[in-house]
Amino acid sequence: MRNLQLLGVILFFMGFLLAEQQPIPKEDACIRCHKEMDEEQEEGQKLFPDILNDIHLKRGLSCADCHGGDPEAFDDEDKAMWDNESFSGEVSRTDEIAMCGSCHSDPRFMRQYSTAIRTDQVKQYWTSKHGMELKRGNKKVAICTDCHGVHGILSVEDPRSPVYDMNVPSTCSNCHSNSDYMAEFGIPTDQYYKYRKSVHGEALLDNNDVGAPACNDCHGNHGAIPPDVSHISDICGTCHVNNDQLFQESHLKPIFVKRGFGQCEACHGNHEVLKPNDDFLNWEHGSVCVQCHEDKGGEAKIMADHFYTLLDSLKGQIAIANSFVEKADQKGMEVSDLLFPLEEAHKVLIQTRTSIHSFNKDYVEEIAKPGFEATKTAIEGGKAALAEFDFRRKGLFISSLIITFLALALYLKIKDIDRKQSKDKS
Amino acid sequence: MGIYESLNERLYLDKIVEFSKKKKVPVFYGTIWYYLGGVSLFLFITQVVSGVLLLLYYQPGVATAFESVRFIVSKVEFGWLIREIHSWSANLFIFFVFLHMFTVFFAKAYRKPRELTWFSGMLLLFLALGFGFSGYLLPWNELAFFATKVGSDIAGSIPVVGDFLLRLLRGGDEVSGATLSRFFGIHVAIIPAVFTVLLGIHLVLVQVQGMSIPPELEKVPEEDRRYMPFFPNFALRDVLTWLIILNVVALLAVFFPWELGVKADFLAPAPPGVKPEWYFMFMYQTLRLIPAHVWFIEGELLGILTFMLGGLIWFFVPLLDKKAKVGERSKFWNWFGIILIIYMITMTIWGYLV
Amino acid sequence: MDIILGAGFFAWIGAVLYPIGKYLVPPKVAEMSVNSVEAGGISEFPPSSSKIVRFGRRPVIVFRQQNGDFHALSATCTHLDCTVQYKSDTEQIWCACHNGLYDIEGKNISGPPPKPLMQYQVVLQNDKVIVTREEMT
Repeated sequence: MRNLQLLGVILFFMGFLLAEQQPIPKEDACIRCHKEMDEEQEEGQKLFPDILNDIHLKRGLSCADCHGGDPEAFDDEDKAMWDNESFSGEVSRTDEIAMCGSCHSDPRFMRQYSTAIRTDQVKQYWTSKHGMELKRGNKKVAICTDCHGVHGILSVEDPRSPVYDMNVPSTCSNCHSNSDYMAEFGIPTDQYYKYRKSVHGEALLDNNDVGAPACNDCHGNHGAIPPDVSHISDICGTCHVNNDQLFQESHLKPIFVKRGFGQCEACHGNHEVLKPNDDFLNWEHGSVCVQCHEDKGGEAKIMADHFYTLLDSLKGQIAIANSFVEKADQKGMEVSDLLFPLEEAHKVLIQTRTSIHSFNKDYVEEIAKPGFEATKTAIEGGKAALAEFDFRRKGLFISSLIITFLALALYLKIKDIDRKQSKDKS
Repeated sequence: MGIYESLNERLYLDKIVEFSKKKKVPVFYGTIWYYLGGVSLFLFITQVVSGVLLLLYYQPGVATAFESVRFIVSKVEFGWLIREIHSWSANLFIFFVFLHMFTVFFAKAYRKPRELTWFSGMLLLFLALGFGFSGYLLPWNELAFFATKVGSDIAGSIPVVGDFLLRLLRGGDEVSGATLSRFFGIHVAIIPAVFTVLLGIHLVLVQVQGMSIPPELEKVPEEDRRYMPFFPNFALRDVLTWLIILNVVALLAVFFPWELGVKADFLAPAPPGVKPEWYFMFMYQTLRLIPAHVWFIEGELLGILTFMLGGLIWFFVPLLDKKAKVGERSKFWNWFGIILIIYMITMTIWGYLV
Repeated sequence: MDIILGAGFFAWIGAVLYPIGKYLVPPKVAEMSVNSVEAGGISEFPPSSSKIVRFGRRPVIVFRQQNGDFHALSATCTHLDCTVQYKSDTEQIWCACHNGLYDIEGKNISGPPPKPLMQYQVVLQNDKVIVTREEMT
């Protein structure tokens, strides 16, 4: 019994040792032969060493699981490939979807590797623009390996994977930005260029914020298709919930629907969603409202002007508050308590901008109100700090005066004593 | 029986009064230098008073030190004033102590029989630097944190005892909360205790031995020398200088406040412009200038050893200066002092320029 | 002369003692401790309620779930620094600016927030709710 326990302990630790090491793919007949051939291949055509990182190989699958053949037939090319019925060689573009799907669409099989893994990719793929075109026989569309890589497929979580969040835009652009390649489809090829400049592209690619959307977050992954106009707001709304909700309840929504405008998109654009700025409301300069409301103005202009002025005055108040606090800070006053109302005002400014999507004057004003109150607190605090600074100077002046006066009196006293003493001597 | 009489019977006040009546101060071109010790003493008293007041609100500890100082300067009435006075008079204190030391040096006031006064004074100077170094960290802001890091690193490169000293200073391997507690204890308990005792000895020695005069003046016959009584003439002048200094401190406190800066963060990278306090600048700059290797020893080590040797020589000047013992000025030691001052000033300015 | 000197001396004493006296009076604001902050009495927190308290320079949201559990999270939204609030109906933390949602552990679960909210610890002591941060050493 005790021996068994001991054995258990030993096995347990051996397990640790094994787990610590990278699982090395078994060197079967395919790998042995192709490794040798690989040395004569040109750069870019080589399978090794990338293939050794392949997630399938690492999980114990072999070349034969995709390509067929006999991986046990060492040193016998015919037996391994040509004479073997299961050998398929290069997988054709039309067969590939089914080949990958033979495992990836099998929940029972995939469950072995991860319970969270999805198995609906193939089903989704056939609903995508890519899938539909492929079904029609167009082999130029993207299939599994075009996005995920061929040999050396990495987990989506791996930053080196072409479908890792931050790599998705450039992966899609491989085809979609190639105007020659895309010519026959008759769609624009400037999406990547536009996206790169957009607030989303900036967040994802410059600030490495993986929470920001890449292509797939709006168009779908395997079921990639441009969202239809009436549902754009649902897609934007998955992240911009507030704006979407406010807009859905606004009086503009039914009009947008009736006229067939893309909600969100009509004002903010699609791939090139730029950081919104308050000039969107500036009738004279940069307003997006004029796209439909034209120059005439009327009620729309009144509302836009109202919002613009409201935002402008809140920004103005914040700037004033900032300058007071800064001035007090520069004079060496301790103003960190005033940073709270300043933050609050900043927060309200953001909320107010969001609230504009309600296109409801009263609501927007209600939201903006605490912002004005907060700036008032900050301005008063800043003024008080500056007054305190003046008080300090005055206080210093008074006490300095007292000290100087005392020093003067003392000086005279000293002179007096000196005089008396010299008189005494003489 | 009056209060004076009853106290006199027990405390021999008459003797003290008699002593102070007889006490006199030589009047000559250098009389003004006699005020420097008094000014240092006054600044020390200011430090004690403002320091004790700060102690009422200050809380050592990584999480509380910075916040409590912020609390003092922002929430407590006149807290800002107390803190500004503490930091400004600290800097002036060091300045005047240095000035005091150099005037004593050039007046050859360290010669027999005042060697012990010099020794105690030098020890007080070292302690004052310790006060400055330990006090600088207490607000626990970024600059102080890194300055302490660098400063204790330098102590750590002393051969043999360096590692031990570094750990002793930091209370561990890194500058941490333990360092802060340690520095706090050193700043408010250990150094003040030792300082007070040494200051007592220093002052008693000055009283017992009277004011020293430069060697040249000693050759003037006694009847041609001019004196003024200590009480009230010199004492009142002392008070007058103190008032002026107080005024200067108040002006500096209001018009040139010390910034509190940013709270120290263990993980933050070192901010640009980490500099020690100005009175350590000449050493810091020297260490920066020394090449990494001089012959076979490390540059930094060489620098530190030189400073230690220099400090030791300076400390033992009363024993080394043979000429001063017989009442003459030694050209060598005069030049030694002048070169030292020029060196310290250049290095300090250089340190701030780069 | 002596009278002037005396008057000056007393004025000076006044000028010194006045700030010191003022300094000694403890300020109205309770001291600013950052290691822990008292959020109020337990009675101030009925189930499904919340309160924003200042923790040093940062706001912290302290809330009590329907089941009586206390939680404390940084109240600054990780998206654009708005102040978040507790939604008692869904037991989530909600940022009103862009409808960001966090779960009660501070994990960002919906909307634009890129990162979770920092967690604080709540200690109940003598009927007081105290928020603490783990010591960073």
